Amino acid sequence: MTTTDPQPSTTPDRQAAGETLIELVELTKMFPGEPQPAVDRLSLSVGRGEIVVLVGPSGCGKTTSMELINRLIEPTSGHIILDGEDVTEGNPDELRRRIGYVIQETGLLPHRTIAQNIATVPKLVGWGKGRVSERVDELLGMMGMDPDTYRSRYPKELSGGQRQRVGVARAMAADPPVMLMDEPFGAIDPITRERLQNEFLRLQQQIQKTIIFVTHDIDEAIKMGDKIAVLRDQSHIAQFDTPENILTNPADDYVADFIGAGASLKRLNLSRIRDLEVTADAPIGSLDEEPAELLRRLGASDWSAMLLLDAKRRPSRWVTMGDLRRGGDLSRVGLEARALVEPHATLSDALNELITSNGGCAIVVAADGAYQGIVDLETIMAAVRTMREQHSAFYLAQKTSHGVGHDSRQDEGR
Amino acid sequence: MAGVEAPEIPEVSSDAGAPVGIQRGSHRPTLLEWLGMPVFLAVIGGATYFWVQSRELDSIETRVLTRDLLVTRTIEHLQLTAVSTLIVLALAVPLGILLTRRAARGAVPVVLGIANIGQGVPSFGLLAVIYVAFGFLGFTPVVFGLVAYSLLPILRNTMVGLQQVDSNLIKASRGMGLSPTMVLLKVELPLAVPVIIAGVRTALIINVGTATLGTFFGAGGLGYVVFNGIQLNRDTILVSGVVLVSGLALLVSYLAGMAGRLLSPRGL
Repeated sequence: MTTTDPQPSTTPDRQAAGETLIELVELTKMFPGEPQPAVDRLSLSVGRGEIVVLVGPSGCGKTTSMELINRLIEPTSGHIILDGEDVTEGNPDELRRRIGYVIQETGLLPHRTIAQNIATVPKLVGWGKGRVSERVDELLGMMGMDPDTYRSRYPKELSGGQRQRVGVARAMAADPPVMLMDEPFGAIDPITRERLQNEFLRLQQQIQKTIIFVTHDIDEAIKMGDKIAVLRDQSHIAQFDTPENILTNPADDYVADFIGAGASLKRLNLSRIRDLEVTADAPIGSLDEEPAELLRRLGASDWSAMLLLDAKRRPSRWVTMGDLRRGGDLSRVGLEARALVEPHATLSDALNELITSNGGCAIVVAADGAYQGIVDLETIMAAVRTMREQHSAFYLAQKTSHGVGHDSRQDEGR
Repeated sequence: MAGVEAPEIPEVSSDAGAPVGIQRGSHRPTLLEWLGMPVFLAVIGGATYFWVQSRELDSIETRVLTRDLLVTRTIEHLQLTAVSTLIVLALAVPLGILLTRRAARGAVPVVLGIANIGQGVPSFGLLAVIYVAFGFLGFTPVVFGLVAYSLLPILRNTMVGLQQVDSNLIKASRGMGLSPTMVLLKVELPLAVPVIIAGVRTALIINVGTATLGTFFGAGGLGYVVFNGIQLNRDTILVSGVVLVSGLALLVSYLAGMAGRLLSPRGL
């Protein structure tokens, strides 16, 4: 670091996060004529490849804080350090070309085609024509939009979700190491938002950008963030930690209030089925087996029903002893096997499915639909218990080894 | 957002009124829209021509209704309109841009006030005042009057056109690293073009109409034909003059409307 000693970091998984890419040092913004600073000595460090979410109620200064980083708002005092370089002074336009920027409702230029919109920054930084158009096609492809179909359309000819994808593509166009996203999925209907969030997380696994993400929605913060900074007034950091730790050990009443009721339910969004250690194993049969053999196996288990798979090992029917005794076409007896979830689904998805299922459990299937296992209520409860124990143990260890509690962490931002 | 370094300008004061005649709808004019006005003008012009031809013209009428005289007066009229509109464009668009920059916020009421006076005074009175001020008759003082009279529509529409650009777009563009000048040239002005052209169209119509008065101040124009018709009590002369002036106004309005559609950026 070139300047001021950065804040001592107490972030738990500092080692895992790798080197710091963005460092905010005591960043402050006073607007003329206002008695209080809008952002008051905000210090934050963001590791390379991390998504850090700034979350807080309206008016807490989170958007202002973000706009201080690319100097759309010039800070009154403090420093912005990007990749070891102090960028607080110098040409702000040059700085902004190195930082991707996505805002709510995209800000796509309506009089420019999709390709021209995406090409904005590459052209500014002087890429050649061929390279630009290659990049445009590549990005549209990454966004799941056929370049030939969409390249020469205008923004108004796209749906809200597609526009937002183009907004993200435009921000990534010149391959900036850092991206700022200001409530990017805020103005989109819940179903599309969910899909865009998932797409973006999948994309992030490939592109590994360093992202600062602003939202007022704690659920979105939990879902998107590697780390979350919960902000109170004037961008004071109430807690800066991983989603798991914030949910399990909120620093104070403010954070607990902000998380709101149902923290345990929210935690279910954090683990995925593939991370479960135990999945239950229902008795399995195949549609072409003899009913007598199936009966024997079901009788030997402590389950009241058996899952029958088709020739491609896809779940087909749930059958009871009674169904099997009555006989008939096995693909018709019993109940249809529903509530299928894939391994990357969250426990929350699984819980939702199993509540509405007819067997009281969700069936885990691979991408091709083949049976993998069963998730029932007990599996989920066991997982929640383990999570809670792990985090409590972790926090206990933190406090004893560093002698640092939440209170001091929360003061850092001031 | 409070701190974005984007042009933030107060609303145009209400006495300046709303922008005029903004085009909405598709950019591709239909065949009817393309041809409707020219065909209409050709029919009216042709009908007038044959009506005049069919009359027995007396010596006064034949003296005024010559091809040479009508062509000369029409050219004078077009020159008055074109020169004054070009001068207004060159003045009002840059002025409108300046007044929508944040630093010029304080000057807005003053400039709009002056422009309002220009348009508020009756046109004949304005030309008279300008004649008195110049002390001579002719082309220049009349152009000066026309400029004062039609400054407001273009100025106002330039300002409103720039102000109505979504501040989110400006913020996004600045956030991508476009300089304020680039934002003006590549975002604000293209998006303001439809509104500015609507202002130009209004100014053109005003100028075609007001230039009719030029004949009283030594600048010629089609007003000569109209007022000769009235003074000499000759309907053929009066109707010919009126048809030429209104046809010219309609033609200019039509051309400006089409130009507005073709020059407006696609995708809006």
